[in-house]
Amino acid sequence: MLSIERKDLLKNIEQSYAEGYTYLVKITAVDYVKTINLIYILRSLDKNQDKILEVILDPADLSVETITHIYQGADWYEREMQEMFGIKIKGRRAKRLLLEKWDGKGYPLRKNFEWGKSYEKE
Amino acid sequence: MSIGSLLNYFYTGLNSSNLLISIIFIIIYAILISIMMSIFAYMFGWIERKIIAKAQRRHGPNRVGKWGLLQNLADLIKLITKEKIIPENADPLLLNLAPILLVGIVTFIILLVPFSSYLQATNLGLGLLIIFVILGFTPILLFIAGYASGGKFAELGAQRSVLMLISYEIPMIIVVATVGIAAGSYNLSSIMNMQSSLFNVFLMPIGFFIFFVVMLAELERPPFDLREADSELIAGWLTDISAPYYAVALMLDYTRMFMGSLLIAILFFGGWTGPWLPGIFWLIIKAVIISLFIILIRLAAVRMRIDKILKTGWMYLLPLSIVNLLLTLIIVLK
Amino acid sequence: MAITRINIGPVHPSTHGVARLVVDLDGDTIVNVEPHIGYLHRGVEKLVENRMYMQSPPYMEKIDYVAPMAVDELYVATVEKALNVEVSEKAAYARIILLELQRIASHLFFIGSVTNDLGQSFTGFMWGFMDRDKILKLLENATGQRMFYVNMRLGGINREFPQDFEYQTKEFLDYLEKRLKDYENFIEKNPIFIQRMKGIGVLNIDDAINLGVTGHVLRASGVKYDVRKNNTYYKYSELNFHTKILSDGDNLSRFRIRMMEIRESIRLIRDSFYKIQKADGSMIGMPVKLFSPKPTNKISIVNRELPRGEGLMYMVADDKKPYRLSIRAPTFINLAALNKIAKGHKLADLFSIFGTLDMVMADVDR
Repeated sequence: MLSIERKDLLKNIEQSYAEGYTYLVKITAVDYVKTINLIYILRSLDKNQDKILEVILDPADLSVETITHIYQGADWYEREMQEMFGIKIKGRRAKRLLLEKWDGKGYPLRKNFEWGKSYEKE
Repeated sequence: MSIGSLLNYFYTGLNSSNLLISIIFIIIYAILISIMMSIFAYMFGWIERKIIAKAQRRHGPNRVGKWGLLQNLADLIKLITKEKIIPENADPLLLNLAPILLVGIVTFIILLVPFSSYLQATNLGLGLLIIFVILGFTPILLFIAGYASGGKFAELGAQRSVLMLISYEIPMIIVVATVGIAAGSYNLSSIMNMQSSLFNVFLMPIGFFIFFVVMLAELERPPFDLREADSELIAGWLTDISAPYYAVALMLDYTRMFMGSLLIAILFFGGWTGPWLPGIFWLIIKAVIISLFIILIRLAAVRMRIDKILKTGWMYLLPLSIVNLLLTLIIVLK
Repeated sequence: MAITRINIGPVHPSTHGVARLVVDLDGDTIVNVEPHIGYLHRGVEKLVENRMYMQSPPYMEKIDYVAPMAVDELYVATVEKALNVEVSEKAAYARIILLELQRIASHLFFIGSVTNDLGQSFTGFMWGFMDRDKILKLLENATGQRMFYVNMRLGGINREFPQDFEYQTKEFLDYLEKRLKDYENFIEKNPIFIQRMKGIGVLNIDDAINLGVTGHVLRASGVKYDVRKNNTYYKYSELNFHTKILSDGDNLSRFRIRMMEIRESIRLIRDSFYKIQKADGSMIGMPVKLFSPKPTNKISIVNRELPRGEGLMYMVADDKKPYRLSIRAPTFINLAALNKIAKGHKLADLFSIFGTLDMVMADVDR
């Protein structure tokens, strides 16, 4: 697992793509309360090898660059992270919610999420 | 009174010079035909379910009545007693009229069919042409029903019905004309009598093939059931038709199949001609066998796509029907 | 020409659950498809965070209700990795047998539903489902449950195979091989079927990789990737089977890949039954206890070849419960590719494409 800075994310992803990591397996996130880690699992089909990039984000500022121009498949994963963790993906329009069919208040997979509490979504 | 004299009595009644008697007899005849049609539709509703169940290694209906014979009746009662639902932006009159008018068309066509030289309403010189003129109304009625329901699925089904109409109507008319030319007449009786030595199937196999394919499309049987494609359009033009009208539409499916089988039997299998048995039995036996064959096709066929149907219609069926016309002309005129 | 927008679903005969597709049509041609998902979203990832490790398998099974055991196994394998539990040789073969049977069952379901989507009046559907039912009976005999097995335990399975299981399974496999010929003659070689499937929904190899599709969709486009081979687990490396690929990337290829995979699975099961006789160890895993061993690995990533594609679980372990479990559902990402694949085809083809992508909406939504 490779920890990277937020500002290096796009550079790292592009570099990985050039190295042959052309297949995006999954984008996921973990809420460690103090930080929220965004995890990119990339795969090289030629070398049969996975590469995991971890971006450590401060809950106060959760904006990252989109990678959909490199991996088209990232689209739905990014939207999922947007809804579940409130990660703001720069450079993309806010679309309708993908998975949630409720009022869209709060971020369900965050650790501080409670049912019945009223949340506002930015 | 023997059956022969009864039929004779009936025949004189039908062709009576007195208009009133003639009309009364025609009404009786129409009622008899409707009863026969209903019996056929009912029985074929059951037979189709049973055959398909057997092929799919199921049992099929077997709870209501002996061998599930009354299952369809139970279904009919259920449908008739259900609530009628008419969508908000539908035209209720046109929507519900369409299945009933379709029944009218089918009944009218079967009325024109001579079941034997005694049992026929009229003996029109151009009977065959009239039948196909009336048959041409069905896609238009379906189109009207589709648009009247105001739903998008029904509308798509209606669009498809028009697209199909233009692709198969022309080959069908050409084949019908070819049969007429071979028989030297458009009178149904003389067409059948002409085939007593050689069935039209053997005279024009290509024509039979075209007509059979076109009839499947006309009857909305698989693989041409695009207008009511259940996995795509839910039920096509039938989507918004509810309760009793839907029951009518379901019965209609089989009456139309009976009509199509009758036409195929008359045009290509010699109709009432055959040894030993009276003509009416031969005609009905032939129609039943053709209907069974149509049911078997449903088992295996995957639904065709609209553009492929158009392509088949224009690229293969139309040229083939012209080839068939020319070949028949050569054989008939020597 | 004016563009008609039609709304298919959430309840529709061929959306395989509750998918809603908003389709823009130009006549009968698709301009744009937008899948609206989430009608079956249960928040499994959140639920798991509040359960003990071995309390979660029943939830996992409901993710993919067509192949429940496969997802269950993926979860249990992730927990095993976190808790550092060894799987004995015998248990590994037993799991392979059960999982491959489950895979065949799922593929038969696929064959049935595709023919139904193409409008074949339920013949292929009934055939597929009846043969699947025979597998469910076998699995019931082996695990005690018919559909939702919950038979995976840490380090093994819940019970020994019954005496007659091997004989019954082999008998079934012989029967299935005969049936596959029927399927081939009746469905795969049916001219109208080929006409409807060939050249429809083409996904070329570059797009397939870039969109990240998995499983049979990826292999039908010509990418030779099968987790069982490329990131092998259990005893798959010692068993004899091939990863089948085709290069067309159309509906027909996706269907044929599945047919070939059934044959490969049959070989795998036969082979496993042969090898399990000489295997060491016990088949039975740890009983389910409230207090499971303490996790030793904080982060465990496990991927498996589920019937529908590659499944992956990313688990951050806590003392008794998972701190976070992230699930990569194979159909989620295959559905994301639908718009790309279906654009420009006829409406009738949308359903065959949707069918051959093999959607299980519960798996998409989790």
